[in-house]
Formats: sequence, C-alpha cells, structure tokens
Amino acid sequence: MPSTVDSAGSRAPLLMVEDLWHTYMIGTPFEQLALRGVTLQVFPGEVVGIIGQTGSGKSTLIQYFNGLMRPVRGRVIVAGHDLGDPRVDIVAIRQTVGVVFQEPESQVFERLVGDDVAYGPRQLGLALPEIRDRVRWAMELVGLSFEAFKDRYTFTLSAGELRKAALAGVLAMRPRVLVLDEPTAGLDPGSRDELRARLDALRVREHLTLVLVSHDMDEVARRGDRLYVLHRGAMVASGTPQEVFRAGARLEDLGLALPEAAQVLGRLRERGYPVSTDGLSIDEAEHALAALLEGAA
Amino acid sequence: MSEFELLRNITIGQYLPTASYLHRLDPRAKIVAALLLTVAVSFTPTVLGNLCLLAACAGLVWLGRIPPSYALRGLVPALPFLVILAVLQLLFFGRNYDPASPVIFQWGWIVVTAAVARLVVVSAARFVELLAVTSVFTLSTRTTELTRGIETLLRPFRRLRVPSHELALVATIAVRFIPTFALEAERLLKAQASRGGRLRGGRWNFVASARRLLPILVPLFTYALKRGEELIVAMEARAYTGGEGRTAYTVLRSTWRDWLAPLATLAFSFFILRAPFPF
Repeated sequence: MPSTVDSAGSRAPLLMVEDLWHTYMIGTPFEQLALRGVTLQVFPGEVVGIIGQTGSGKSTLIQYFNGLMRPVRGRVIVAGHDLGDPRVDIVAIRQTVGVVFQEPESQVFERLVGDDVAYGPRQLGLALPEIRDRVRWAMELVGLSFEAFKDRYTFTLSAGELRKAALAGVLAMRPRVLVLDEPTAGLDPGSRDELRARLDALRVREHLTLVLVSHDMDEVARRGDRLYVLHRGAMVASGTPQEVFRAGARLEDLGLALPEAAQVLGRLRERGYPVSTDGLSIDEAEHALAALLEGAA
Repeated sequence: MSEFELLRNITIGQYLPTASYLHRLDPRAKIVAALLLTVAVSFTPTVLGNLCLLAACAGLVWLGRIPPSYALRGLVPALPFLVILAVLQLLFFGRNYDPASPVIFQWGWIVVTAAVARLVVVSAARFVELLAVTSVFTLSTRTTELTRGIETLLRPFRRLRVPSHELALVATIAVRFIPTFALEAERLLKAQASRGGRLRGGRWNFVASARRLLPILVPLFTYALKRGEELIVAMEARAYTGGEGRTAYTVLRSTWRDWLAPLATLAFSFFILRAPFPF
C-alpha cells in the first residue's frame, strides 16, 4: 500500500495493478509461480522504483505494464484501459507506456540509427515530417545529436550510444510512462552517470512518469519518490525511500543490500553515534557526518 | 496468458527429468531405437500400420513418464500447416494420384479417391508420430548423453575419415540452441512490440509478413553469430581440441536392459513394415 502520495496528490493512478498473480509455462511440467498477489500504483509525474533480486518477478511484472501479458488472476489498469478486457485497445496502451527492457541495444535492427529510432512512429503510420520531428526530439533527449547520428551505421556505435539509440526508439513513441529495466547495467561508469542525468532531465523537462526497475538499491534509492520491494514474486515493502530503508535489517534478510551511504550511517548508529539514518545518497551522508563531527568538536 | 510465450509450445530440445526407464536407457540404444522407429514411420503406407505406430508412440510417452498434454503441445504451432496440407491434398490430388483407386466423393471438379483419403490420414499420422518420437527422445536425453551416443555410434566409420566427435558436437549444439533461440526470439518480439512494432496480421500476404518479421530476424541472426563466437572462445579458452584422446567422466556400459529397447524396436519395425495390413 502506498503510505504517502505526496507528489501525486489525489489524482487517478496511471498504472494500477491489483492482486496480480502470474504462472510461467502454465500447463507444462515447467510451471513456475512468478507473481503472487502484487499490488501497486503509479501516479502521473512521479518516479517509482521497483527493487528486487534476480528472479523476484520484476521483469515479469513490467510486462503487464504495456499489455505484453494479460492478467489471468488479478487486475491491471493502464490509463483507464482494463487489460483484463479482451477487446482492450492494446495499441493505445503501448503508446501510453514505453518499456525499455534489459540490454535494449539488441533490439536495434536497422542499418542507420535514424531509421531505427523511426521504426515505432512509422508503424503508427504518421506523416513523414511528424516522424522526423519525433526522431529528432527523441535523439536529442537521450543525447545523440540528430544531425551527427541519424545517418550513422548502427554497428559503428559504442555500447553506450547504442543503448541511447534504443532508448530513443522507445521515446519516439511519446509515451507518458517510461519503464526502464536495469537501465544502466553493463555500461561503463561514464555512460552510466550520463544516462542517469538524462533520465533525471526527462522527468524534469518532459514531465515523464518513470518506473525504474533494478536489483541495485543505489540505482533507484536516490531517484524514486516511492519504492516497491519485490521478493519471490510478492510485494514485501513499499513507501518513500526513507520508510523502506528504515526497515534495513529486514531488507538485508531478503538479500537486498542497502545503499552504501545508508549502510555507513546505519553502522555508525549501531556503534552509538547520534547520526540521522535518513540519508540515502553520498551527499546526504556527507551532511549527516558533517553534523556529527561538528557536534563532536 | 501471453501471446508471446513461445517456449511453451516447443517440446523439441527440452529435457524433462523424470528418471523413467527411457531416461536411464543407454543413449546409443535410444538413438538406434529412435532411428528404427523413424524408418518405420516413414515407410508405412497403411492406415492400420499407422494406428499401430500411434499406439507405440503413446506407449513411449507413457514409458517416459511424460505428461501426455505436454508431449502433444509441440503439435499446436504445426496444426495450421497440417490442416492446409490436408486441404490441398483433398482439393488437388484428385485422380492424378493412383487413378485406379475408387472415387468415394465427388462435387464439381473436386474428386476424392480412396487412395487420396488414405494419404491424407497417413501423412497427418506420420507427422504426429515423428514429432512424438523426436520429442520423447529429446525430453528423455541430456545433450551430453546425446553427444556421447552419436560419437560412439559413429566411431566405426572413423576409418572412412568420418569426424565422429565433431559431427556429434555439431548435432548437440544445434539441438541445445533451439530453446535458447526461442527465448531470444520471444524477448525480441516483446521488445519490438513495446516500441510500436506490429508483427502479427497480414497472415496471407507472405511477403508483407516476412518483412514484418525483419525486426526480429535481423537481431536474432546477430545474436546467433555472437553466441557462436562466444562458444568458440569459451571452447578455445578450455583448450578444446576435439575428440582425440578425450576421456569421459561416466563410461557408457550397456546391460541387457539397454539391448532390449533397440531389439524390441527392431522387431516392432520389422513387423510394421512386413505385416500385410488390409488398408
């Protein structure tokens, strides 16, 4: 249950999942329960983090967000469209919610970067100038200059550039919600920081609603307005980052490491130092430590 | 439910550990038995013979303790083709195929003779039988067992410079990669659909539907090449040099039980191919 919905107020949720269950390979000997009664909401304009270990059901869950999977047990409502309805407008849902899967660079298939980014808009049957506008907008947003990159061969791109191109391909659909599964996994630290900054800008400049999915607390802790913690297909914690990380010991039992800054502050507190444990980022930890040192001096 | 769950319908190349008699059988015996059965299936032209073969396949599924619904699942994606094949045969073979056969149905220019009707039934049955044999075989055989089996069976041909170990390895890798590629194709389908790709529809316009699949096929090929290269590097890194002087952790040893299977299959195939079935 979301305990605080500060930024969202009382607006209707864009994404709503209610008591969702999922079984893989149903009807075969390889049956596997992946989601057990998951409930979550995403409100317009907020950044929601979904944290869980490998195999916790994160990647399964996000496939419901844009109708790649249809609920058998439970309800999923995307911007007013009920996914349980067999006649639901799936095209509208896929335009509302853009999902960027893990290692999205593998989905790039055209020879030229510009053509690949234009794949989605072309499928929508838009007019050429509109497609061009969208491609330019999407490429500039992710930090690939339209003029410099549109006619580059995709195979000449670096790993970081290729991931940006793939991201632009999803953005060109102009979704209202962007769901990213492990967006920075496998990138070098430079590209990783740049991509993070780009994502922050997306939120501020384009008012995009973001859903960040990761196994890495450091990745989502700083950005999320609210967090959900998945463990073995069940939602075990939710709330603001501070609320979630206050239950630190319990999260560690589930095999999820706290953000490094929070770990440092937590251990200091264990040793009896009067330090606030609300800090999640390096900066916040720095402030807390400074306050502690000044108090001691 | 998901329209994208491809692996659910692929039973070839999966291994289903149930520790049945078939699972414990010497892989060499299993390969020989499967080949004999395949020959029997391919050369049995009678309906009654195919009924016997279908019964034998059901027996194999039971013997391998494979859930029947799972064994039949591989049929689902092939059903449309089976239906189209049957319709084409019924519509166009007419009197051209075995003109001496009596006509059992006639409507306008559509002529169905007894021989054509039999052909339709037999070819559908053959498909089901072949699928059952290969499915049961792969579901009950680990890839390592398969390699060892092929390798030892081909060893007598080494004098003729048949690279038995390499051939076995190629076959194993091919089978092993089927589910891997199915998973990757599924992943790509989902990824392209997520950015507005429309990959279904236009079912009867083959050129258009082939073009529609390019966003899946191009990355899938790249993936296959990459996987292949990774495999090469991994093998070289482990100083792989082929079969020469290689020893095995488990040594294949046949007991009378292992001889039973190919001998029984041989007798059965012989009976099926030689028995004077009336139709």
